[in-house]
Amino acid sequence: MNTTYNFAFFDEGSKREIRRATLKAIAIPGYQVPFASREMPIGRGWGTGGLQLTLSLIGMKDVLKVIDQGSDESVNAVNIKKLVSNTTGVEVTEHTSKATLIQSRHRIPEVPLTKEQILVLQVPLPEPLRYYEPSETETKKLHAEKEYSGAWLMLFEQIMKYGGMATGADHPVLVHDRYVMAPSPIPRFDNPKMNANEALILLGAGREKKVYAVPPYTKVVSLDFEDYLFQAEIFADKHCRICGQTDVFLDELVDELTDETVYQCNDTSNCLEKLNSVGVK
Amino acid sequence: MKLDMVHDIQTVYRKLVDAMARPGQLADLSKEAALIEENEARPFLLLAFTLFDQEVTFKVFSKREAAISKLIHQYTNARPAAIEEADYIFVLADAEKTALKGAIERAKHGTLKNPHDSATIFAEVDEITNTSTLKLTGPGIQSEEQVHVETESEWLAERQVKNKEYPLGVDLMFIDRRQQLLALPRTTQITINRVIV
Repeated sequence: MNTTYNFAFFDEGSKREIRRATLKAIAIPGYQVPFASREMPIGRGWGTGGLQLTLSLIGMKDVLKVIDQGSDESVNAVNIKKLVSNTTGVEVTEHTSKATLIQSRHRIPEVPLTKEQILVLQVPLPEPLRYYEPSETETKKLHAEKEYSGAWLMLFEQIMKYGGMATGADHPVLVHDRYVMAPSPIPRFDNPKMNANEALILLGAGREKKVYAVPPYTKVVSLDFEDYLFQAEIFADKHCRICGQTDVFLDELVDELTDETVYQCNDTSNCLEKLNSVGVK
Repeated sequence: MKLDMVHDIQTVYRKLVDAMARPGQLADLSKEAALIEENEARPFLLLAFTLFDQEVTFKVFSKREAAISKLIHQYTNARPAAIEEADYIFVLADAEKTALKGAIERAKHGTLKNPHDSATIFAEVDEITNTSTLKLTGPGIQSEEQVHVETESEWLAERQVKNKEYPLGVDLMFIDRRQQLLALPRTTQITINRVIV
C-alpha cells in the first residue's frame, strides 16, 4: 500500500464534497446532482466519476471488484483497481458475490446483487436529453418541468427510420415516475436489472461533473410505446461457447479460422465461476 | 480526540448512505460517537465532522445554540446561517418543543431546477424503534417498513406539507439517545398506523 497519499487518494475535503452530493442524489432518485469533480490521475471520460464515488465510499473492510464491459481484466478495470487498492490496501476480488463495492463500466453483473453491495457505474454522458438539447440550462429546465416529449420523440424517430428502437446501449429510463435518466451505456439487456434492484446503484460522471443514484427497490421503467414495447437484446438459440450458459448477455464474435459467428459470455467472472462449478477437464 | 478523522468518518458516512438508501433501517452510530470527548452535542459533532466544511452553512436549535454553533464553526469552518439559508439544520433535544416543526416549515426546499439545494434536518429524539406506529413506503423500501419515533415534537404533518411537491422538499434524519439514526428522505411516504377496534 502506498502511504504517500491520504487513504483512498482523495483529501478529506474532496471526499466530503462528493459525499454531500451523493446523499442528496440518493434522496432524489434519478436527479443529476452537480459536484466539483476533482482532477484524477486518469483521463476525464475514462471512469473518473465512478472512481471518485468509489474513493469517497471505500473503507478498510471493503472488498472491491472493478469491471469494464463485463471483464475484470481489461485495461480500464485493472488500472482503476490498482489505483484504489494501492491507496487503500483493500482486498480486491473477481467474484461478484464476494464484493461489497463494485465499480463497473457499461455492465450490471449477471450474478444478482445483494443488499450488502453498492454498484458504482461509470457514466460518460449523464444527460439523457443532450442528444436533442445542447444547452445545460435548457435541459435543467426540461427536467424541472418534467417535459420529456423530446426523449420519446427521439425513440419515435428511430422507429420511423429503422423500424424499431435503435438504442444500442444507454436506453433512457424513467426513475420513480419522475426523472428520465441515462442508465449509463449498459446494454438494454441490463435495464430491467435496475428496476427494484436489491443493491444501491450510484452513477458518476466525472467529466460532466454529475452524480446520481437509484436507491434499492426503486421503480425504473425503460421508455417505450404501447405498440413498440421495450425489448432487451435477444439471444434465442444462442449459448456461450465456453460455458454453455443461455440466459446471459453474450458477445458476438467471429472465429477467424472458420469464419463462423460464435457467442460467448460478456461477464467473464461469471463464465469462469460457471466453468469452475461444473469442473473443467 | 480518539475519533479517526479518516476511517471512523468513513464508517459514519457509509452508515448514512445505508440509512438514506433504506429508510426505516436504523444506523447505529454509537461506536463512533463514543470516541468523541464527553459533550452533549456528540452525535451532531460527529455529523458535522462527516459533512461540514467551509462550503456549508448550518443552523442549530438548542438552549446552547451560541456555544454549539461556535464549536462546530471552530472545528469545521462551516458558517452559521439563517434558517431559510442553512444547508444543514440541527435540532437538539433541549430545543423548544415547536423548534422542529418550525425548522421543517422554514427550511429551504430547493427549486424545481435545483432540488438538491435543499436543507437536511437532523433532529434529536428520545428513542427510535422498529415498532409499528408509522408505516413507511417509497424508494429504498421493498414493501413497507415500520418505525416509531418517540418525541414530544410534532413534525409529521409539517413534513407532509413541506414535501408535497416532489422533487421539492427537505430530508429528515432522526437520531436518538442511543445514537440510532433513522433517515427519512423526501421520497418516503409516511402513514400513521391506526388501531382499529
